[in-house]
Amino acid sequence: MTPRQSSGRRLVPAYLATGGRARPSRNTLDRLTVLIGVDMPITSEVRPEEHRILELLQPGALTLAEVAAHLHLPVSVVKVLVADLVDAGRLHARVPIPEAEQFDRQILERVLDGLRSLKS
Amino acid sequence: MTSIPQALLWCLSAGTVAAVVLAALLVRVRKERAGLRARLTAAEEHSSATLHGNTELSARLRATEAEVRHLAEARLPDLTLALAHPHVPVRGLLDQRFGGSETDEALDAVMAQVSEAITKERTRVDAAAQSTLRGATTTIQALLYQVQTSLQAMQHKYDDPQIAQDLLDADFLNEQALRRVQATGVVCGAWPGLTREDSYLAELVVGATSRLRGYERVQVSNQLRDPVAVVARAVEPIAITVTELLANALHHSHRELPVTVTLQQGNRGASVIIDDYGVGMHDDELKHAMELLASNDGLLLTQLGDPPRSGFAAAGQLVRQYGFGVHVEPSPYGGVRAVVYIPGDPLLTVLDEGARPISVMAPMPHRAPGGPRDRAAVPSAMPTGASAPATPAGALPTPRPAAEAHAVPVQPAPARPVAEPAPQQPPVEGELPRRRRRRPQAEQQPESHPDTLNLRSPEETGSRWAALQRGTESGRAAAHSEPPRSPEGNAQS
Repeated sequence: MTPRQSSGRRLVPAYLATGGRARPSRNTLDRLTVLIGVDMPITSEVRPEEHRILELLQPGALTLAEVAAHLHLPVSVVKVLVADLVDAGRLHARVPIPEAEQFDRQILERVLDGLRSLKS
Repeated sequence: MTSIPQALLWCLSAGTVAAVVLAALLVRVRKERAGLRARLTAAEEHSSATLHGNTELSARLRATEAEVRHLAEARLPDLTLALAHPHVPVRGLLDQRFGGSETDEALDAVMAQVSEAITKERTRVDAAAQSTLRGATTTIQALLYQVQTSLQAMQHKYDDPQIAQDLLDADFLNEQALRRVQATGVVCGAWPGLTREDSYLAELVVGATSRLRGYERVQVSNQLRDPVAVVARAVEPIAITVTELLANALHHSHRELPVTVTLQQGNRGASVIIDDYGVGMHDDELKHAMELLASNDGLLLTQLGDPPRSGFAAAGQLVRQYGFGVHVEPSPYGGVRAVVYIPGDPLLTVLDEGARPISVMAPMPHRAPGGPRDRAAVPSAMPTGASAPATPAGALPTPRPAAEAHAVPVQPAPARPVAEPAPQQPPVEGELPRRRRRRPQAEQQPESHPDTLNLRSPEETGSRWAALQRGTESGRAAAHSEPPRSPEGNAQS
């Protein structure tokens, strides 16, 4: 999906979503953090923007960057919202899966050499 | 000897003649004296009359002088003051005997001349001040919009919390400055400075709150039945008006108290109702506000007071120009209630939520279930303990009462006789998450699937596999022709 081409000036600024906060309560979140909604009834104390996030995650997991794109909000602001939701137990956040890569052959050889030298 | 009698005779005759002459003279003198006396009396009378007239004249002169002095010292200052403050009385003549005289007329003419000159000069000076301000605000406003654009771009660019925090703070400050400048410009007769696209009323109101310090105290309750939107040309004027009314409400109530905003849809229009629980307004303040909101005359900057209170004045200007209505009244809660009424005919429209999604910060409408958006909204709108009356097919697997809120979700057991291998069990804390399908699963997985898991005939299995293959092929074909999913693809059924 592509972000909506905003033909006009924004009417609602991003800081309204978090009440001006941009420092998330946990700094483990990343653009690629995968968010999974917890199957939990949405009560009335959930604010509209959190509501939208939960709604968005109901069918399945999304990364934080995807959520931000859906909501047309800056990633920094979405991080704050997501951190709040994770704190409230309404969301699970999982660190991105590191890219699979082969082990560095040189390091392995050096480890092997070291082990051999220990043995002898 | 004859001479003696003769002489005597002569003497006697001479004496007689003398006596006669003297007598005649005496009579004449007497006459003249009487004449003189009469003239003297007349002269005296005349002179006393003149004196009297003189006194009267000088008294009159003194009175006139006093009247002129009174004009200079009392009446003209009164007049100038009264022109600025209409409730100040202007004193009349000092001496009522002048009433209707030429002096009175002359003095009145002076007053009229002075009054006209002052009024004209004031209008001229005010117009000059307004045009200066208008020019300045227009330029500043354009610059602030540029600042806003770059701040917004930077917010999307930088993820670092420190930088993001500074950017959000700067954005908020900029927004406040923009509001001030814009309202001042509008008071001075400038246009709002921005034409937006058609915007949802809920979005507009939330946007208006964001321009004010203390916006977190504003509680917006959305009672609109339809996705009501304001037409493009009226968006910014109504946003300015709502902002100024909200600013009043926030300013005049304690910082712990909320300000409630209700969006209400009527038969022929929509209303934004702003209630505060603050100190309220006096009757004359309310009267003044309503005058500013309803008057058709041009506005003078001098009417705004010092420090200038431009809120109602700006709203009044916009009300005149764009045809919506603002009413202010004492609130039943003790504060002030301000109502912005937007007539539906020229100023409202309804937008398609699919084509033009509403901002995520806008309050959720309290609507009956039906649309795709309402599914999740329904339980939240219900009071705690009551379950949703008619949960649509795509909602949560089982409608659970809201009171039964568990931190760790429990597998919904009822309505599923056979224990399935938990394909749609939500991940429990610690368990690895599984990628699930985008569409709500309950829609495609009726109860038949888990029940018949082990009871399938070979033919049935074959047909299922064929269906899978067909589905895959048609899916691949579709993937080439159209984008994978719409922006709202997740929530749609």
